[in-house]
Amino acid sequence: MGRGPYEKSGMIEDTGLPPGKTVHERFDIMFPLEEVEVDGKFVNKPTAYDLDVTVQLWYLPFGTTKTDPFLWHEASKTISISKSGK
Amino acid sequence: MKQRFYGAMVLLAGLSLLPAPAIAGGKAGVGWQETIAAKSGKAKTLAELAKMYDSSSCIQCHQDKHDEAQKSIHSRSIYGTGRTASTIISAIENGLMEEPYSGVKSPKDVKVEHLMGCAKCHLPQLKDAEDSVAQELVSTLYSWKDAQKKKDKAAVKQAEDKLKSVNISCLICHNRNAITHKWQDGYPKAGAVYGSKDGEHPSDQFPKMGVSPIMGESIQCGQCHGMGPNMELDEPTQCCTSYGSYLWAYKSEGGQETCQECHMKKSKLGHNIQSYRDPAMTKAAVDFKVESFGYHWRDGAEIKPKAVVKVEMTNRAGHSIPDG
Repeated sequence: MGRGPYEKSGMIEDTGLPPGKTVHERFDIMFPLEEVEVDGKFVNKPTAYDLDVTVQLWYLPFGTTKTDPFLWHEASKTISISKSGK
Repeated sequence: MKQRFYGAMVLLAGLSLLPAPAIAGGKAGVGWQETIAAKSGKAKTLAELAKMYDSSSCIQCHQDKHDEAQKSIHSRSIYGTGRTASTIISAIENGLMEEPYSGVKSPKDVKVEHLMGCAKCHLPQLKDAEDSVAQELVSTLYSWKDAQKKKDKAAVKQAEDKLKSVNISCLICHNRNAITHKWQDGYPKAGAVYGSKDGEHPSDQFPKMGVSPIMGESIQCGQCHGMGPNMELDEPTQCCTSYGSYLWAYKSEGGQETCQECHMKKSKLGHNIQSYRDPAMTKAAVDFKVESFGYHWRDGAEIKPKAVVKVEMTNRAGHSIPDG
């Protein structure tokens, strides 16, 4: 299925933001782990306790960031976890 | 006998008050002969089509509106940013030339009707032109593409200027497309400009002003920024859907604003009608909130640290985003 208007007779899927409605997206990101030896036992420990996360809202007229992409919004956060594991 | 005589008189009087025949010259409606297209006759060249809807005389008094409009992509609706021109070429090659019943084997076979899938919005006045104009348009598009390949800047500029010579000029909105319900409100007349007032207009070329019942209404924009598949075409296209979204997802929920209120008035853009390319419009259109937290997720017997990012987006526009 092509994307050109000349090839479509109807919408296949509408991924746009509907007017007046609030849309939620949730992303669950696992912290990177490495196996380390502690007191003779192998355990998984995070390689970092802070993650810098950037969320970007893109408009991609041609479905790819290579062709005339438009960055609509961007927000950055640092997400931390405790070192004690609690 | 006397009664029957009077009856005949009333009938004759009634007949004499009827307007001219509703079908003349094969086209329905009364007064279409007064339109720019009917008076000019079909354009045979791109230059003739540009001249038919030439709005340069508007600049004399409306320089500010002209300057605003020049910043809007409406002023280069066939060329766009170059992306539009490329997409029309794609529509010829990946659309028309691959469609077994289009009658287009090569770009040389393209007629006005073939281009209306794009031109319905990008150049609605193409309907007022002969197939020779479609051919000239197609050959200019290919000249532009070839010149780009050869990196011939002068030839690129020449083709680009020619493509930009036809566009959504003042007269497209303020005359040709100023009246949608032509059997109710009459056909737009040559020599008149349509807006909010009736009366004299101090211009040799356009001595009359007329009221466009839709100039401040979303339907004015909806003629192009449309409703989805253009079923009136032999090969329907699915392109702009913003007026459909506006009607069925915004108005139906009690939305009260018009396209013009957001894109022209509140934004203070006037005739520089913009959407996402204007930072103020972008900011106003979508509320974007990000909330995040980290925690130690218990996955069975294991503790796995995890980051959660919650994004909330609210579209404040009167139509789906993105749309056109």
